[in-house]
Amino acid sequence: MTGVIEVRDLVVRYSGATALDGIDLTVHENEMVALIGANGAGKSTLVKVLSGLLRPESGTITVAGRLSQVPEGREMFPDLSVDDNLRLGGWRNGRKGRDTTAIYDLLPDLAPIRARKAGALSGGQQQMVAIGRALMARPDVLVVDELSLGLAPLVVAALVDHLRFLHTERGLAVLLIEQNARLALDLCRRAYVLEAGRIALHGPARELSRDPRVTAAYLGGHVAVPR
Amino acid sequence: MSDLIGYLLTGLGIGAGFALVGSGLVAIYRVTRVVNFAQGAFAVLAAMLTSSLLGAGLPHGVAEVGGVVLGALAGLIVGVIAIGRPGTSPGTSLIVTLGLGVLAYAVEVLIWGDQPRSFPGVSGVAEVGGARLPAHYLLILAVTAPVFLVMAWFFARTDLGRALSACASNRYAAQVVGIDVRRMGLLAFAIGGALGGLAGVLTTPVQQVTFDSDVTLIVNGFAAAVLGGLTRPMVALAGGLLLGVAQTLAAGYGGGAYQMEVALVLMLTVMIIQAARTGPVPETA
Amino acid sequence: MTERTHPGTVPDRPARRRAGRGRRWALAGLALGTLALPPLLPERHLATFVLLLLAATVTVGVSLLMGYAGQVSLGQASFYAIGAYTAGLLAVHGVPPLVGLALAPLIAAAAAVLLGAPLLRLRGHHLAFATLAVQLILLSLLAQADWAGGAIGLQGIPRLSLFGVELREDLGYAYAAWFVLAVAVLIARNVIESRAGRGLRAAAASETAAAASGVAVGRYRLAVFALSAAFAGLAGGVYAFYLGYLAPGSFPVLLSIEYVVMAVVGGLGTIAGPLVGATVIILLVQVLNTLGTQPGMPDYAPSVLSYAVYALVLVICVLFLPRGLVPALRSRVGRVVRP
Repeated sequence: MTGVIEVRDLVVRYSGATALDGIDLTVHENEMVALIGANGAGKSTLVKVLSGLLRPESGTITVAGRLSQVPEGREMFPDLSVDDNLRLGGWRNGRKGRDTTAIYDLLPDLAPIRARKAGALSGGQQQMVAIGRALMARPDVLVVDELSLGLAPLVVAALVDHLRFLHTERGLAVLLIEQNARLALDLCRRAYVLEAGRIALHGPARELSRDPRVTAAYLGGHVAVPR
Repeated sequence: MSDLIGYLLTGLGIGAGFALVGSGLVAIYRVTRVVNFAQGAFAVLAAMLTSSLLGAGLPHGVAEVGGVVLGALAGLIVGVIAIGRPGTSPGTSLIVTLGLGVLAYAVEVLIWGDQPRSFPGVSGVAEVGGARLPAHYLLILAVTAPVFLVMAWFFARTDLGRALSACASNRYAAQVVGIDVRRMGLLAFAIGGALGGLAGVLTTPVQQVTFDSDVTLIVNGFAAAVLGGLTRPMVALAGGLLLGVAQTLAAGYGGGAYQMEVALVLMLTVMIIQAARTGPVPETA
Repeated sequence: MTERTHPGTVPDRPARRRAGRGRRWALAGLALGTLALPPLLPERHLATFVLLLLAATVTVGVSLLMGYAGQVSLGQASFYAIGAYTAGLLAVHGVPPLVGLALAPLIAAAAAVLLGAPLLRLRGHHLAFATLAVQLILLSLLAQADWAGGAIGLQGIPRLSLFGVELREDLGYAYAAWFVLAVAVLIARNVIESRAGRGLRAAAASETAAAASGVAVGRYRLAVFALSAAFAGLAGGVYAFYLGYLAPGSFPVLLSIEYVVMAVVGGLGTIAGPLVGATVIILLVQVLNTLGTQPGMPDYAPSVLSYAVYALVLVICVLFLPRGLVPALRSRVGRVVRP
C-alpha cells in the first residue's frame, strides 16, 4: 500500500516560533486516519500546510492525487447560495467539473436548501455544505478539520454516517482532525496524537484509546469502552 | 412640470456617471478591501484618450472603446502596484492608490496639457414630456442601464463572477477551494478601471474634463458607493442616480450654487449615521 | 493603517535616556543651525525656506494625528486655510495682526473640535473621505463668500507687525515661521512624552485594548485632531501675512495630500520625521522646479515633475520603507553602532 498523504520531517515556523517540529504522518489509500490533539497543538497549522496555504520551513509533503479540505469553522461563503458554494468547490475542475447534481445524490439533505444563502443555515447544514463543497473538487483524500466542533450530538452522528459512507462505499481516504478524541478514535482505525507541534503517539486507534496517556489527557480520565 | 422632467433626466445622466465610478470602487473594494483613490483618474485618462482618438479621425464607438480599454489597463496597473506585493495591508494599498492618482496627474498633464478637454457626443436636443435637454443625456442612460444589468448577471450567474463574489464573501474559504485571490483582486481592479473609464467617456461630452476632475468624480462615486457599505453595486447605482438628481435639482431651483455640497453633506451624514448604528467602523483600512 | 503606526518596541530605560539626550542635542543643534541660516540665504531661496518651515509645522500635526491617533486626514489644508483666512480677514478689518495671528490657531482648533465630534467616529478610509469632503465644502463655500473675497480672493492683507515693527522683508517671515515651527515641535514633544501620549500610542496600536485599560480614546483623539488643526492654523496665519493675498485656489486638495506625503515619507509618530519629510520633499520639488523652468523646457514641466515626485516618493516609501525615512535611518545607524 502506498500513502495518499506522506509527510516526512515537516517543520513549520511562524515568525520565529516553531509550530510544527519534525512531523511524520502517512494516510494510506482507502484509509481513515485520526489526528487528535489539544487546542494550539498545531493541528490547524498542519491542515494549512497540507492544503498548500502555508509554506513549510523544511520537510516534504507528498500527496498522490487531489487533497480537499473541510475547513475548521466550516468557512461558508455566507452571502452565496448553497448551490453556488458547492459550485465554487469545483473551481479547480473547469466548467464541466462544476456540475453539482452528483452532490445532491450523495448528500440528499442539501437538495431542498440548494437556493438558500449559506449564512442562514444551521451549523449542521453548513457542515454538510462544507463536506459537499470539498467533494466537488473530486478529491482522493479528504482532510476534515473539526467535524464535530459546536454541533449537537445527533447532528454529529448524521455527519459521521455520511463520512463513513463516503469512506467505505466510495473508497475515499480521510484524515480526520478532531478535538473530540473519542469520536475520532471510534471512527478511525489508526490515529496520531499531536502535542506541542510533535507527534507524541501513533498507532492503531483501539490501542491508543486504551493507552493511559491518551485516556488521561483526551478521554476525560475514563477508560474507553472497547467496541 | 417640464422643468422638473428636464432636471430629473439631466440628473439621472449625471448620476449615472457617479454610479459607474462608485460601482467601480465597489467592484474593487469587495474583493480586495482596498478603497481605490485612483478611481477618478481612470475616468480622466479614458476621456482624454478618447478625445485624442477622435481628434485623430477615429470613428465614434471605436474611440470610446479605446478609452474604456485604457481605463481597464490603468486599473490593472494600479492593482499590480497596490496589491501585487504579498502582505500589503489595505491601508497601505489605499495610500498607494492615492499616490498613483497623483502620478496620473503627471501623465495627463504631460500628454494632454492642463486645459479642459471635451469631445462631441450625440448632438441635438431631445424632447421628453415637454422638457428639452441635450440628447446625449439619454445616451448616457441607454448605455448605463444595460451595463448594470450585465454586471448583475456576471456576478451572480457566471463562475468567474461567483469566484469574485466568493473572494468578497470569505477570502479564506476562497483560498481553500483554490481560487487565486490575488489574481481575482487584479481582475477586480481591471473591472473597476473599465467602469471608471466608461464614466469618463460617457459624461465628458456634457461636462468638460480636466486632469484634476478626478477629485469630484471620486468623491461623488464614493458618496454613491458608501450608501451600500461599499459592497453593493446596485445600491451604488441607486445612490449615484439619487446624487445626480439631488444635485441637478439643487442647481436648477437653488440657482447654480451649492450643488457639490449636496453630495458631500449627504455622504457625511450617511457615514456618520452608519458609524453611529454599527459602533466604530472596524479598522480594515 | 494601524500596522504602520506601531511605535515599535520600547528600549530599556538607560538606553532610552541616552537616546533621548542625544536627540535633544541634535534638536538643539538643528535649532541653532536653522536660526543662523536665513541671513545667509539668497532672496529666492528664502521664500522656499519660509514655505518649508510652514509646511513642516503643518506636517508635525499630521504626523501626530496619523502616528498617535492612527487617523488619516486628507483635509489638513482646510485648517491651514481657516487659520490663514482668520488672520487675513481680521487684519483687513483693522484688527492688530498679532491678535489675528493668535486667533488663527484657536479658530482652527475650534473648527476641528466642532467637525471632529461627529467625524472622528469614522475610521480609516471613511475618515479620509470625510476630511476630504470637508475641505471641498470649505473651498466651495469660500469661493462663494463675497465677504471673504470669493473666488478672486482676499487682497490687501497688511504685513505682520510685532510690537510696532512691521515685517517687510522675507527675513522677518523666516524667523516668524521658525518660531511657529519651534512652538509646534515643543508642544508635540511634550504631548508625545506625556501620559496622554502613551495612551494614544496604545490606542493607535489597539483601540479595544486601550479602551479596556481605561484610556479615554475618543477624547484624546479629538484633542490630537484639534492640536494638529491648531498647528495648521498657526502656520496658515503666518502664510496670510507673508503672501498678503489669499484665494481658495491656494489651498487645493493636493496640498492636503502633500502633507500626508511629507508625514509618511519622514516617518509617523516621530519628531524628526515631519521635519525630515518636509525638507526632503520641498527641496526635491524645488530642485526639480529649477530644472523644469530651465530654458528649452516645456511650460508644463514644473507641474509634471512635482506631481511625479509626490507620487513616486509616496508610493516607493509606503511600499519599501513603510516606517518612513527617519526610523529606517535610525535603525540602520543603530545597527552600525552596536553590531
